[in-house]
Amino acid sequence: MPDPTRERGPDALSHTRRLAGLIIPVLLALAWEAVVRAGLASGRLMPPPSRLFLTAAALLRDGELQTHTLATLTRVLIGFGIGGALGTMIGMLTGASPLARRLLDPSIQGLRSVPSLAWVPIFILWMGIFETSKIALIAVGVFFPVYLGMLTAIQSVDRKLIEVGRVFGLSPLGIALRITWPAVMPTWVASLRSGLGLGFMFLVAAELMGASEGLGYLLVDGQQMGRADTILVAMITFALLGKAADSVLVLLTRPLLRWQDTARIRL
Amino acid sequence: MKLTINRVGKTYADGTEALRDVQVTADSGEIVAVLGGSGCGKTTLLRLVSGLDEPSSGEIRLDDQVISRTHPSVGAVFQEPRLLPWLKVGDNVEFGGRRLTPAERRRRTEALLERIGLAGYGARWPRDLSGGQQQRVAIARALIGHPGILLLDEPFSALDPFTRATQHTLVLDLWREMRPTILIVTHDVDEAVFLADRIVIMKPRPGRVHEAMSVDHPRPRDRLAPAFDLMKRRVMRAIDRSLSEDRPREGFGASNQSPWV
Repeated sequence: MPDPTRERGPDALSHTRRLAGLIIPVLLALAWEAVVRAGLASGRLMPPPSRLFLTAAALLRDGELQTHTLATLTRVLIGFGIGGALGTMIGMLTGASPLARRLLDPSIQGLRSVPSLAWVPIFILWMGIFETSKIALIAVGVFFPVYLGMLTAIQSVDRKLIEVGRVFGLSPLGIALRITWPAVMPTWVASLRSGLGLGFMFLVAAELMGASEGLGYLLVDGQQMGRADTILVAMITFALLGKAADSVLVLLTRPLLRWQDTARIRL
Repeated sequence: MKLTINRVGKTYADGTEALRDVQVTADSGEIVAVLGGSGCGKTTLLRLVSGLDEPSSGEIRLDDQVISRTHPSVGAVFQEPRLLPWLKVGDNVEFGGRRLTPAERRRRTEALLERIGLAGYGARWPRDLSGGQQQRVAIARALIGHPGILLLDEPFSALDPFTRATQHTLVLDLWREMRPTILIVTHDVDEAVFLADRIVIMKPRPGRVHEAMSVDHPRPRDRLAPAFDLMKRRVMRAIDRSLSEDRPREGFGASNQSPWV
């Protein structure tokens, strides 16, 4: 007798499983739509899906949603680039050199204990309320997880593999490039992903503090105009954007991690 | 390549004396087995010869050159395969031949993979290989540069007896083709008698040479031959003596009921 699961193959199966996650949100949305249509609720504070679609379509037609998304994405990318690069480089430095670690790590750990949003006032004072302070805030959010990930990853590289490099005649630079770097790659990628997540969090904080464009601005605008639908559309766009950015990061780094046995990263 | 370990001692920074006054020589192309239990400093000795550590006293020479750092004439196989997990099997073998031209490296890798029974495995990841296969790749990686001396640090101890016997034959075949001097560290009497021209028995705390003996049987050696058994017994008695000097009435054959004598 043919096995139905085998016939459909593993891909089809996991596809069906993934779709299972949609059942509850879709049912809830339909139920809410029905409740509002039946006149049981006004849907003013919690607009039904149909209204959200209309709002999103209108925002898209004006090009407003695109403008705000682009502004937000640009900030995140620049902030992520700066924070990620600094975190990687300084983490490499403190991971590789005990002297640098003794000198720098305590200060960095101290700065890390400053609650993230406590940076906002001083950044605004230093850099004004425009782009620079927002990007700086995002960079701070990205920096710490990447720094920490890099530092711990370098320190936990298997000494035995380093010895293999030494026995087969690699220079210290050769060991860094051919042993340490590939060995820290998985942790580094994981820390970039959590850095990206934190970057989005800080971005919202920055945009809530005052911005003339960006999805965060759309949130504030919706609140002031009493437009729950605008707020929800912005929130959904944030979710999609965050997920998309994470997926792109995973796709870009996937070739570096192909060798990994466990914890293979899935989209 | 002739290996001379001349009155070598090693004391670690924490004050532990791992080796004292160790004297071992291996002629060019000879297989010398260093035999002893844990704590004999066997692995320390190999680390010194490979140049990973420096002796506290005495000197180690390869031909006439004193070793003080890692050097290209050594090939090493460790207790675990220690393949680099991010390199494919073929690239792992090539990793050992970094001084060769790329073309020569590829040619020798192909030949060695074929030789160790893993032809066509070059594009696989190490994780897809069994423990025995990985250890064979490690042997190929150590031999690709045609080292003057091959260091083996209990490379077969984690393998099952069937796989181990196959690896022994493989190592001897490769040795016959390339003739490196081999220094193998082991705690397995059978392995030492099967492989070595000479056996150096060590005793612990601190690691010292207890006794050295030659194994004069021609190769290939038959594990089932009476002479092989006799040789094993000679070695066991020597181990016995090394133990009874420190702690009387322990070890093989120390009592009359021992099944070994």
